[in-house]
Amino acid sequence: MTAANEATDDAKDNDKDHGVLYIGMDLGTSRTAISASNGVRECMFSLVGYPKDHVARKLLGKDVLIGKEAAEKRLSLQFYRPLEKGVLKQDDQKSLKAAADLIRAAIAAARSRKDELIYCVIGAPAQASIRSKEAIIEAARESVDSVMLCSEPFAVAYGLDMLEDALVIDIGAGTADLCRMHGTMPEDADQITIDIAGDAIDEELARLIRESCPGASFSTQMVKDIKERYSFLGDPPERVMVDLPVDGKPTSFDITDSVKAACGIIVPPLIAGLKQLIASFDPEFQHKLRQRVLLAGGGSMIRGLESAIERAMARDMGGGKVIKIEEPIYGGSNGALKIAHDMPKEFWEDLR
Amino acid sequence: MGSLKSNLKDAVKKLAFSTSVDQLKKKGVDKVNVIGIDRITVLIEEAVSRSLRFKLLSLDREEVAVATKEEFLRLLKSNEDLEREQDTLRKLKEQAEVQVDQLRRDLVEQQRLLADKLDVAERNARDDYLGENEAIAHRVKSLFEVLGQTGAAGDLEKRTLELVMDIVSGERRESIRAREQVRDREVDNLQRRIRKLTSSLEETEHRLSEVTAIRNLDEGISSVYREVQGLNRSDRAYGHKKELMADIFRANLALQKKS
Repeated sequence: MTAANEATDDAKDNDKDHGVLYIGMDLGTSRTAISASNGVRECMFSLVGYPKDHVARKLLGKDVLIGKEAAEKRLSLQFYRPLEKGVLKQDDQKSLKAAADLIRAAIAAARSRKDELIYCVIGAPAQASIRSKEAIIEAARESVDSVMLCSEPFAVAYGLDMLEDALVIDIGAGTADLCRMHGTMPEDADQITIDIAGDAIDEELARLIRESCPGASFSTQMVKDIKERYSFLGDPPERVMVDLPVDGKPTSFDITDSVKAACGIIVPPLIAGLKQLIASFDPEFQHKLRQRVLLAGGGSMIRGLESAIERAMARDMGGGKVIKIEEPIYGGSNGALKIAHDMPKEFWEDLR
Repeated sequence: MGSLKSNLKDAVKKLAFSTSVDQLKKKGVDKVNVIGIDRITVLIEEAVSRSLRFKLLSLDREEVAVATKEEFLRLLKSNEDLEREQDTLRKLKEQAEVQVDQLRRDLVEQQRLLADKLDVAERNARDDYLGENEAIAHRVKSLFEVLGQTGAAGDLEKRTLELVMDIVSGERRESIRAREQVRDREVDNLQRRIRKLTSSLEETEHRLSEVTAIRNLDEGISSVYREVQGLNRSDRAYGHKKELMADIFRANLALQKKS
């Protein structure tokens, strides 16, 4: 670092004398959630849009639209979902720019003061590639003073103070991450990423609706909305009746069986992952792992999922206990915030 | 201490956010645990005092307690000052917007009045002269028809008409000058008013843009921390967590120094 740079950094520090804002971020394929040390908690769809032309730009009055706003105006936009199966799409510069804009918007949602230092921990998918991680860091650096990445399921476990003898299942849109916690930092062998998650359920539900509701027309977003509202496993709490247009006329369909069947596709790969992680663990402690399976992420909101996993564990693994965390959407960001808080000062400064 | 308690309550209320049962359900929360604000206040006080009891000598404890109270009150006050400033700026912005709208409307109205006035004056003059010319010509013609019957007309009609028109034209020039003077005064007044309105509009618009430029009037929300925190030494898993933090740091150092 040159003397001139040091002088500039000193001046910047002097401007930031009001305090320290910690931000924990869960950067997900479908949603991005943040929790900050000023009490702000926000969740936004991981969607980014840019006006298609000058007319759209003038009409929308913005160069970038994020989240719900982008989804609502998507017909006037070049539309991006910058994360796919839990990792940044890196095939084109536009997607990387979209990811950077999403991260910037998420940090802006924390409503930081300009005279505060901003230290941010971002939960990244357990098996994100190095290049993907570098891209996230680069994007975040523009908006914060110092940033660190950590494994998403680890952040969930840290936030709940369950660092030993626990197994975290974090079900997102693109992937479901399984992570074995045994008191140390999880290594590659402790983590499994399955690409059957929320999006796969949407695809399966769309296929089943096409089969069981002849003539009905619907979009991916409509299927996603149906899933988020009615998803269940086990006995249905009520019949799932939805109105879908047939030749432009709203028509009522009973899709209870389709919803249940679509949600069910996630259980077998989760059980296979659990088996693999438990079976390869120290035999003396395997029963402890089975008794503390934490269920987190948006996908954990499927009603009856924990019971379905427990039933499958009883059948295939001799039993187990699944605990759904209290706030599935903010579990990752709350954990990342706690890590940011606990990180020593010198570590933050070394990374600035 | 009473003031601190009520300030703590206010702070907790300010930091809290409202949410509906539906929103909670959407976020996957089926059940919530409820805790009263008084209980939270007592817990915070108790936590602070316990922590102080464990960590500090009695002399330091007093000092730290006083300093903490002062700092807390200072933070609250700075927050209130900020809110007041934001409120004032918001009002200023609203006033400026109303003024700009009014000025724009006034300006358009004055420009319309001026155009109308100039148009009406020109049309009136044209109509007046046309009517007068016709009346004079008619009267002269009638006079010479009478004279024609007596045989005294001839070239005289043409010359008389020229003479009359010459005198009338002179009178008209005087009249036009007088009217123009009146009209010019009115136009001057209107133009002055328009210039003033335009300048006020520019000034108010500039003020509005300045107010709007103040980061959308949002100074952000203060963090609850004045300094970098780090692990709490009284945490029962302090050593363990310290190692985990070091692991995360090392992984990030490798990643970031490389990139």
